[in-house]
Amino acid sequence: MEIIAKLDKVSYIYENCQDLVLKNISLDIYKGEFLGIIGPTGAGKTTLSLVLNGIVPQFYGGRFFGYAEVAGLDTLTNPVSKLSRYVGAVFEDPETQLLATSVENEIAFTLENLCLPREEILARIARALAAVRLEGMEKKQPNELSGGQKQRLAIASALALQPALLILDEPTSQLDPVGSQEVFATVKELNRILGMTIVMVSHAAEEMAQQADRLAILEAGAISALGSPNQIYSQIEQLERASLRAPQVAKTFWAINSRGIALEKIPVTLETGLAILPSLTSYYHRPVWQDPPSINSNILLKAENLSYTHSNGTEALKNISLDICSGEYLLIIGQNGAGKTTLVKHFLKLLSPTKGSVSLKGISLENLSTSELALSIGYVAQNPDNQIFNSTVEKEVSFALTNLGYPAKEIKEKTCQSLESMGLLEARNLHPLSLSKGDRARVVIAAILSMDPEIIIFDEPTTGQDYQGAKAILEMTRQLHQMGKTVIVITHHLYLMPEYAQRVVVMGQARILLDAPIRQAYHESEILAKTYLVPPQEVLLAQELARLSGIPSPLLTSAEIAASFDL
Amino acid sequence: MYNSLWQATQKNSLISWLDFRSKLVMVIVITLIAFTWESPITSGILTILVALACLFSGIKLNYLATILKFMLPFYLFLLLTMGFFNVEQVKVLTNKSELTALLSIKGFNLTLEGILYGLSVIFKTLTMILVIPLGIFTTDLNQMIVGLTKIKVPYKIVFIFSSTLRLFPLLAQELEGIIDAQKLRGLSIEKMGLLRKARVYAAIAIPLILNAMVKSQKMEIVLQTKAFSGDNNRTYLSESKLSEIDYAFIIFFIVLLIVVLVLYVVFGVGKFWWLLK
Amino acid sequence: MPWTVIPEGEERQVKIVNSSSIDGTPIAYIVVLSAIVTALSFIPFSIVLGSGGSMPLSQGVFPLLGWLLGPIGGAIASAIGSMVGAFLAPYTAGIPIVSVLGATVSSFIAGIMIYGKGRRGSWLFLIVLFLLAFYIYGNRAIVQNGIPVNIFLAGNFIELSSFLLFILPTRRRFACWIGDSNLALVALGLFAGTWIASGLSHLCLATITYSIFNWPKEVWLALIPIIPFENLIRSLVGSAIGTGVIAGLRAISLVRSAEAIY
Repeated sequence: MEIIAKLDKVSYIYENCQDLVLKNISLDIYKGEFLGIIGPTGAGKTTLSLVLNGIVPQFYGGRFFGYAEVAGLDTLTNPVSKLSRYVGAVFEDPETQLLATSVENEIAFTLENLCLPREEILARIARALAAVRLEGMEKKQPNELSGGQKQRLAIASALALQPALLILDEPTSQLDPVGSQEVFATVKELNRILGMTIVMVSHAAEEMAQQADRLAILEAGAISALGSPNQIYSQIEQLERASLRAPQVAKTFWAINSRGIALEKIPVTLETGLAILPSLTSYYHRPVWQDPPSINSNILLKAENLSYTHSNGTEALKNISLDICSGEYLLIIGQNGAGKTTLVKHFLKLLSPTKGSVSLKGISLENLSTSELALSIGYVAQNPDNQIFNSTVEKEVSFALTNLGYPAKEIKEKTCQSLESMGLLEARNLHPLSLSKGDRARVVIAAILSMDPEIIIFDEPTTGQDYQGAKAILEMTRQLHQMGKTVIVITHHLYLMPEYAQRVVVMGQARILLDAPIRQAYHESEILAKTYLVPPQEVLLAQELARLSGIPSPLLTSAEIAASFDL
Repeated sequence: MYNSLWQATQKNSLISWLDFRSKLVMVIVITLIAFTWESPITSGILTILVALACLFSGIKLNYLATILKFMLPFYLFLLLTMGFFNVEQVKVLTNKSELTALLSIKGFNLTLEGILYGLSVIFKTLTMILVIPLGIFTTDLNQMIVGLTKIKVPYKIVFIFSSTLRLFPLLAQELEGIIDAQKLRGLSIEKMGLLRKARVYAAIAIPLILNAMVKSQKMEIVLQTKAFSGDNNRTYLSESKLSEIDYAFIIFFIVLLIVVLVLYVVFGVGKFWWLLK
Repeated sequence: MPWTVIPEGEERQVKIVNSSSIDGTPIAYIVVLSAIVTALSFIPFSIVLGSGGSMPLSQGVFPLLGWLLGPIGGAIASAIGSMVGAFLAPYTAGIPIVSVLGATVSSFIAGIMIYGKGRRGSWLFLIVLFLLAFYIYGNRAIVQNGIPVNIFLAGNFIELSSFLLFILPTRRRFACWIGDSNLALVALGLFAGTWIASGLSHLCLATITYSIFNWPKEVWLALIPIIPFENLIRSLVGSAIGTGVIAGLRAISLVRSAEAIY
């Protein structure tokens, strides 16, 4: 097979860094293949992908060892502008990579910079839009596009160069499931139909298992494994050591295998997993699960016939009625635009209902100010950086108490308590922005905790996080729940939540489609489909088991499924 | 909201067919004329003409109404101060030794001439404000970019302009998010005194600016991968061509400017007291 | 600290590509801060009666842009940002071209403040410009419109104080404080620097707006306490925002532009 890019003993260290970020990497990338790069945060995945288009080291400086060649061009002796004709790049954040004010101008931008004639530009725009299925959208502005459409535009923009190689660095981590699906489908078509060579960095294990030809695991700057998805994703223990997540299917079958049931191989895609199940039904006995004890407590937060219409006439919430009890862990799910954040903003009194009411402990929110409400309900937004206002961690944590006029002694006490519970005492005098992303989220949570609210709402806390990061935040929510707080989480990552949430509210088209315990909600595939959600692979496997065996199996996790198998 | 305003005025008005450069000439000439004229009569006619042109070009009535709404308190203030206090200067401009008093409060006279002077200033500034949407909102942004490069504005500057338009709605959204986050930490801005407000506004701007600076580093990398050099030597998708109508338009406005200046200097047309003696 | 692994590959010569920049400041930085100015110009702060618009929050930030991006980069960011703001929210701008000019001049003056003997041309040119402005403005007010001299001087308190602080060694001293590691000095430097830059920018603008409005004596009397108070607020806001931003930028160790003085 033709080699389109080659790395030969590549090592790299950034300016002012203590250690090498890439260590002796040798890798051949074949024409037409889909190579996935996976690894924990900090492994060097982005750096590796940026070597391919010369950004590393030409933009960052530092020290570079070894050789990297793409389409026959050395990435150090050829300028980035020349390499950009051969290597297209798509980055994680859909917003910052779109610079123009219309779709067609976005695609034209690089071509204009390379001085292509106008007729050629027009022709390439048409081809690129067709390849990503955005025809007819030439005149639209970027802010009119959905997240998935924006990323597809970024791909089109890279495609218009007719590159030999397309690099995608976490292109779906900021997107909802619909957007994610769109991007993966587009990339799949580019690879299978147009024969485009793809190098993709992604945490989306299920999709990568489906689409990649080869996977490389990058750990601490070195490639620790290279092989097909079947080879890589079936090595569950190795993945866990590397702090990586295997596709749910693989994890489930590995767990079954660990109970002594022999399997020829561990399937890594849903199709192969479903295909193996019939041969295992003889080992499937009684499905076993345990539900946490139900909570009988008073209603804390109540929405009654809540409706909200935007100033432009769109109905964002239609007749929502919801009771949230003290000590609950509630999950709110639904497509983008379903009304989740709008609902939550009503709880926080950032929005006022057009009809209906919201009350806290029986008192209507109309009689409470937003700042008074802040003492009862805390809100952690998706991006912690927009919630950091001070120059030290301690000042940040005591910020709210100072604003609310608490006496100095009490401020000091509560601040200390809060810092301690989030493990931030040693960092108290540091600038919050000098901390890692995970620690910054911790600072925001500590700041909210200092007000000792009864309810804490987390809005998309796992988006943009890798598996480790997401687990760390969810563990914090568990900690808060164990402290007696009522926790509300909004997220797309359904597969992460069975260990934490008790109850699920499914929203779609501005309404509540379902309000049920998590075990029931996750199995209502039809209702989830109405809001463009798909149950996690584990749930789908359980449903197939139920169908094959005739025994109802409302199982949620790979552990539960495996526990229902016996030799 | 503002981007949609830009788009909405693209449709089919005569002025939107003109090239951006012709409209730029129009904006400059009208601004110069407005600056020169002091007569409330000529200034008023100019303002009305510009306002009508705005409406016929598709600029939304409520946009114009919003401008007026915000400027109204200031204009009232202007009228009253000119009416009551602008005595010496108006006397000089009108060659009158005594001004016509309309109203008298505690020894201070509200003079007719003062009010007229105030009106002329109002019309002057209103024209200068209204002519901008007339020239800008009626132009497709991408054509404007090409038009600017054709009049030798460096591409780097033009790029900064178009990228600002692209980016600021995102930042405005982030700003709202930051303000909400502040409210949830107990800050109720409305109830505050001026000094505390200053600190609060500072607290809003800081995370906004810092996050923006971090974004800018990502943007630099994106620019690199898109072969951006800021070089003026590049091709363009959009076109900016001057047609015969454009040339006629430009010539008309240049001639207009010359005529107005000549009439002003030689015959006093547009001087404060013209036709009011 | 030694590396954990010895590189096996041959060390290569790294040529750093220069990102597109203006006067040493990367374009991306200018773009982003220009968009900030636009976003901030939608937040009105108080009414400035002298030129007819409410004072947007962005006014406290113009000098800061000069210190973050250098005089040219800062001036461009402020100019374009306020221009876009003026198009979209003209009621916060007063007379658009005037507010854009004010923003540009403010950032430019701030960025120049650090320039010493080596770049004498720029600040000398500014001093001549300011003297010319005083002459035109003063002539119109005192000679043409009959405003008493003492009222003119009182009404130009911020302009005169700023001018004085600009021509004296205080200019460079304040600019050096902004680069100091002690945040308290940074705050003081920012306060004084914003006072100076805004005051002198006000001088340039007043020269233009006064020739449009020709305010009578009574308005001068009313404005005498207001203008310095507003400049005080601007300086406080500028100092508060600037200190926070500079502290943050030092914490996240972002690549600085060549002309930045923090």
